Amino acid sequence: MNAIEVTGVTKKYSEITALDRLSLAIESGSTFGLLGTNGAGKSTLFKLLVGHIRPDDGTVSVAGTDVATAGPELRSIVGYLPEHAGFPPSLTGREVLEFHARMHSLPDAASRIDAVLSVVGLSDAADRCVGGYSNGMTRRLGLAAALLSRPRILLLDEPTAGLDPRGVADFHRVIERLDAQSDLTVVISSHVLTEIESLCERIAILHGGQLCTVGDIDGLRREVTDDVRVRLRLGDAASADSIQTIVSAFDASVHSTDHDGDVVFVDCDPEDVPQLLTELTEAVTIDGYDVREPGLERVFEQVLSEAEQDSQPRQSAESSEQLRTVSHDE
Amino acid sequence: MSEDQTAHSSTEPGGGTVTAADRSFETSSQTVVAFAGQTLTIAQLEYRLSLRSRWTLALTALFGLLSLLVVGFGGSSAGPFRVDAVVVSLASLATYLVPLAALVYGYDTIVGAEETGWLDMVFALPVSRRRVVVGAFLGRATSLAGATAIGFGLGGLVLFVRVDTVPWGLYADVLFGAVTLGLAFLALGVLVSTVAAEKTHALGIALLVWAWLVFGHDLAALGLVAAFDLPNVMLTGLVLANPIDIFRVFVLSGLEITGSGMAAVVTGTALSTTVLLGGAMAWVVLPVSVAAQLIHRRSL
Repeated sequence: MNAIEVTGVTKKYSEITALDRLSLAIESGSTFGLLGTNGAGKSTLFKLLVGHIRPDDGTVSVAGTDVATAGPELRSIVGYLPEHAGFPPSLTGREVLEFHARMHSLPDAASRIDAVLSVVGLSDAADRCVGGYSNGMTRRLGLAAALLSRPRILLLDEPTAGLDPRGVADFHRVIERLDAQSDLTVVISSHVLTEIESLCERIAILHGGQLCTVGDIDGLRREVTDDVRVRLRLGDAASADSIQTIVSAFDASVHSTDHDGDVVFVDCDPEDVPQLLTELTEAVTIDGYDVREPGLERVFEQVLSEAEQDSQPRQSAESSEQLRTVSHDE
Repeated sequence: MSEDQTAHSSTEPGGGTVTAADRSFETSSQTVVAFAGQTLTIAQLEYRLSLRSRWTLALTALFGLLSLLVVGFGGSSAGPFRVDAVVVSLASLATYLVPLAALVYGYDTIVGAEETGWLDMVFALPVSRRRVVVGAFLGRATSLAGATAIGFGLGGLVLFVRVDTVPWGLYADVLFGAVTLGLAFLALGVLVSTVAAEKTHALGIALLVWAWLVFGHDLAALGLVAAFDLPNVMLTGLVLANPIDIFRVFVLSGLEITGSGMAAVVTGTALSTTVLLGGAMAWVVLPVSVAAQLIHRRSL
């Protein structure tokens, strides 16, 4: 069963199309990642899901209920951490959660509040004013508020934006713990690809308000490339040119090379890696190397470049059409 | 309506019979309780926030200081102490100060919460936006009413000490009128806050509203009165179209000193206390009701 179904949704802000005929389904109990550049439509999609805005066209349903026609009760099963969550600075963290608990009419508010404060690591700071919280603590309080009602669907918009590495790690631990609950659906948007890669099973990539691709991460990796990336650290940066000569012999299997100072990247078929390394170590001094599976970054880059290529002919066609219209008007 | 609600009657586990009408009543009463519960929760939070901000304390001190000054200066002039003159001075002070204070108190209710990211959190809760607006108004209204009553009440206390026979009814009218005037302008502030896209826009609109109702409306109305022989019903309409004029007429109609502006023109007309109170209540309720409707159009 799908926890979220978005069908043919278009949302415009005056002249700007934030979402363009987007259709997407997210399975119950999964952890789903939303990727896209700035302005891709991720936050707009979250706002539609939580009912902050309404689509100009299409339907958005959460837990089988159309958000447009549902009452506010639907939000009792949805926890939401907005990208720019904020709290009145004169309230304490506990008071914020008490307010949330009362709005949800939670019967065992005190124990739940203590529990979520413990989960997000804010127990010690619970009785301090939010105005004195760091950015990371504010984000964690937002997560605590979203978790308080034990929602079936958790929407996290850029949850780790602005957090230091330790804050990010803590956040990941919380999400991983939540992931163990089989019935909880988590949707995370992020610019940090490694974060999505480590937390999510399935992803969607948005660009210009359109869905570019959706699927499980491994499947998308395989779709994009079977290559592995060999990263070589050279003893002498000048020998990078020599490497170019050597890898050109592997014409059929080496698909790209690049270098950054004394580090050379070679993308090639996994079967050719041993022979390539043998020949390279005979020819140049190599201080170290590693071999990596293609990351989500390559999937993301390729999908986006394809999307941009697709949109360019359409944009130029639209421009030509506009020019023709203008000349007709004149 | 759910299947349970459409059933004509059924037997409760305890043996009693529950009809559809009973269930309908229960459902509607539960809805009312839920509405009141969530609205009061928001009102309590807003009240707590307003008490913790320095605004409420500052307003109380300002109102108190100025009312004490008015009462003090009222007694410093040569001749007998004129209680009615003090009341008129207090009323004049209230017509300028209370609307401005209330608008500034209310202009950021919604748009300010949106800019800090708090509204995004609150609207994601299982509560209708209408309740959020009404609750926020009620919370701020409580603290503003308290600040106004305490501030202007201080002047009354001093008056009580200085004068043997204080016309308490008259002073109570000023106090009640000032509180109601504040609530009306707070309601306008909440409405402005609901429609404005940014806090700075809201402040600008609030100041324009203040300038119009304090100066512009009276000038325009007096121009009409001077140019045309307006019937009483038109004069009544002009008074009811401005909460400040309602306040002036309400407070000053019992005095020989009539004050200024439209109040001086209409104190002799047949504007009853009931009509004035109805008009004042409308100025409190209508802006909040409109805001509660318009909040649904607001995109976060």
